[in-house]
Amino acid sequence: MTVTEADDLVPLVLRAQRGDAMAMSELLSVLAPYAARVCGPIALADGADAAQETLIAVFRNLRSLQDPAACRGWVRAIAVRESVRLAKRSARSTPVESLEHLPSRADVEQAADIHDVLARLSPEHRAVIVLRDLEGLDEVRAAALLSVPVGTVKSRLHRARDTFRKAWSA
Amino acid sequence: MKPSWPVAEFDQVRRLRALAAGVSGAAVAERTVPESFDRVWEIVADLEHELGAFEPDMRTIRLRRGPDGALLADARGRLGLRARFRVELEPGWLWMQSRFLMIGVAAVPAPGGTLVAATGGFRIPGRAALFPLAVRHANARALRRLAARVEDRG
Repeated sequence: MTVTEADDLVPLVLRAQRGDAMAMSELLSVLAPYAARVCGPIALADGADAAQETLIAVFRNLRSLQDPAACRGWVRAIAVRESVRLAKRSARSTPVESLEHLPSRADVEQAADIHDVLARLSPEHRAVIVLRDLEGLDEVRAAALLSVPVGTVKSRLHRARDTFRKAWSA
Repeated sequence: MKPSWPVAEFDQVRRLRALAAGVSGAAVAERTVPESFDRVWEIVADLEHELGAFEPDMRTIRLRRGPDGALLADARGRLGLRARFRVELEPGWLWMQSRFLMIGVAAVPAPGGTLVAATGGFRIPGRAALFPLAVRHANARALRRLAARVEDRG
């Protein structure tokens, strides 16, 4: 499921927004695997809680979603926010202030154990990687969604790649 | 090699909590029943014979398929009221809606047996909203009855 598949949920979202609980259930069965896919790599051990909190927020606020065609992007933003929040709260990670040390797409794709790669990174880094490599967003959009400055990300990627590889081969 | 990304677990009880969040006035009661998932779900899924044992508003219920293949339930309540439900029934998941009632039950294997969650109540017609009259207590009572029924069937 990608950001380009935007409109197919519109009739279902509209029915759910009108209070049809069967449509809500059907919508949940579509959105739950998507939320689980976004939350898993960012929240790691907190993934189940992050997916649950995401979908609770989604259904609690479904009527406030003004553009049903934007449903998946809306869910994605909530999923990223909840995943980062829960992962940071669990104190299993070290906070970072920038997006340096971000492994490249090739580094991620070549990793034998992606879970191990992800566990070496902060939740914010993991979120950028998920948005970039799994969701197909560019780093600028990904960082904007996270409200993180990204102006220097691209110029730092070479250095980050080296840093990452050193850490990976250590 | 394509990486295998971690995917978060999202079980049926979490699914019920999320769905209930979209129903105004709904509350979710939860209880661990000290029996296997299969034994617990065998009873929940036997709607025609067992639903009335733990949902006291139900006296009789008959299942059938609608023209579009959807599962429907024609129910009669204790006071003789009739209701037609649309039903979703799959392992660990029951979700039913009529004009005036909403019922949700979910179950997952858990340490010590099976975690069962229930929600529902009298629906405000046409809305994803319940009359907020003792719904939490009613759902907890339904789970107590279900636990007793599972034990009875031994």
